Amino acid sequence: MNYTLHFGQVLPYLPYLLGGAVETILLSVLAFAGGMVIGAVGAAAATWGGATTRRISGYYVTFFTNTPALVQVYFIYFVLPDFGIVLSSFNCVLIGLVLNSGAYLTEVQRAGFRSVPRTEIEAAETIGLSKFQTTWHVVMPHVVRTLYPALTGQFILVTLGSSIGAVFGVDELTGRAFGVNSETFRAFEVFIVTGLLYVGVTLLATTILAWTGWLLFRARVRVL
Amino acid sequence: MHRFAHELGNFATWYNLAFVVQAAGYTLALSMIGCGAGFVLGFLLAALRLTSAFALKPIRILATVYTEAFRRIPFLVTLFLVFFALQVAKIDVSVFCVAAISAAVIETAYLTEVVRAGFEAIPCAEWEAAAAMNFSLRQTLAYVVVPQAWKTILPPAFAFFLSFIKDSALASQIGVVELTFAGKVFNNRGFPPEIAFGSILGAYFLISYPLARLGRHMEKRLALSGNL
Repeated sequence: MNYTLHFGQVLPYLPYLLGGAVETILLSVLAFAGGMVIGAVGAAAATWGGATTRRISGYYVTFFTNTPALVQVYFIYFVLPDFGIVLSSFNCVLIGLVLNSGAYLTEVQRAGFRSVPRTEIEAAETIGLSKFQTTWHVVMPHVVRTLYPALTGQFILVTLGSSIGAVFGVDELTGRAFGVNSETFRAFEVFIVTGLLYVGVTLLATTILAWTGWLLFRARVRVL
Repeated sequence: MHRFAHELGNFATWYNLAFVVQAAGYTLALSMIGCGAGFVLGFLLAALRLTSAFALKPIRILATVYTEAFRRIPFLVTLFLVFFALQVAKIDVSVFCVAAISAAVIETAYLTEVVRAGFEAIPCAEWEAAAAMNFSLRQTLAYVVVPQAWKTILPPAFAFFLSFIKDSALASQIGVVELTFAGKVFNNRGFPPEIAFGSILGAYFLISYPLARLGRHMEKRLALSGNL
């Protein structure tokens, strides 16, 4: 084995790769935010909805958690144009990631909703809170504190999952790594640097989320 | 709509079915080999992190860095990392091998944590009792810890296997002819993407859904059988 690592040729591209990391964060924050909204609706439907909404929420979760995100995005990417909807690859990947993470976040949030003690909801009913007020003042704080660590983990998974953007030519970290690779041909070095950048980005994200969680909700998240 | 029905008729051939079944076999084989190797190595790493010999300290630190790092790198990047690492080392193996090694690399990292969590669920008193009886680490694990901890380890380990079946779709990017690759082939052969990728989504669902049910059943059974 007489291969010498040449990071010298890759280092000039570091700012470019860092820009890709910013794009990765943007993509995953958007995907996670969208997924949270869908997840909240799905979990609410599964917890308090009627038979039909419960079933729809269940079908959605079952389908999206039992198929790969990559194939879901492939499907969206190639099928939408057939219906005259032409989106950029970024938007296609974003839609796919939102739908995919939405399903997992439905499951996570549903578990959180169930963790709210029955008595607290009954107490809220007794003092005459509306359904919205109960959700906002009683259920949410409870849910957020118990769910925060799980959601942090899910955010990291979404960040890692956003790397499939590279397959569709999205200009995020992995995508840019492919670009740098084809310019420098220092494949091994490029992917070592990319891997390290992912470790850095996700560590930073976990740290920030752990701090925020502690400051806002007193939720404990393990960083390492 | 008529065209769609026509294309569906063209698509539904024995040849295509055989192709999908074979591709599904590769998806399953990849997941099973990757997770099997990952489980064995993960168990060893978790056991290694329990050792206390001073001489093993560097290895313990390395093991910790390994599990923390590879759980924070996307599988796609790991795939290419392994792909090019093997090239650099002049080890000539098939792309399936590359994917299986990558799978083992990340599953080792994830399953080390699972096994470690299982070990940690065993009360401190039992570890101390084993130590008091002068059990070696191997004996403690074999006679005290594993007979109890497997119930906490198995359900999450199975969940990682399940989620890897879906992650293994990325192996199509280095050219492993598994399900996702089959979808790309169908798409390139000119079938409408609804059929090409729809059938692949269906195939994944057929594999993953029964296993998910089995996993949930197993989890419930193990929870019912009483812990520790």
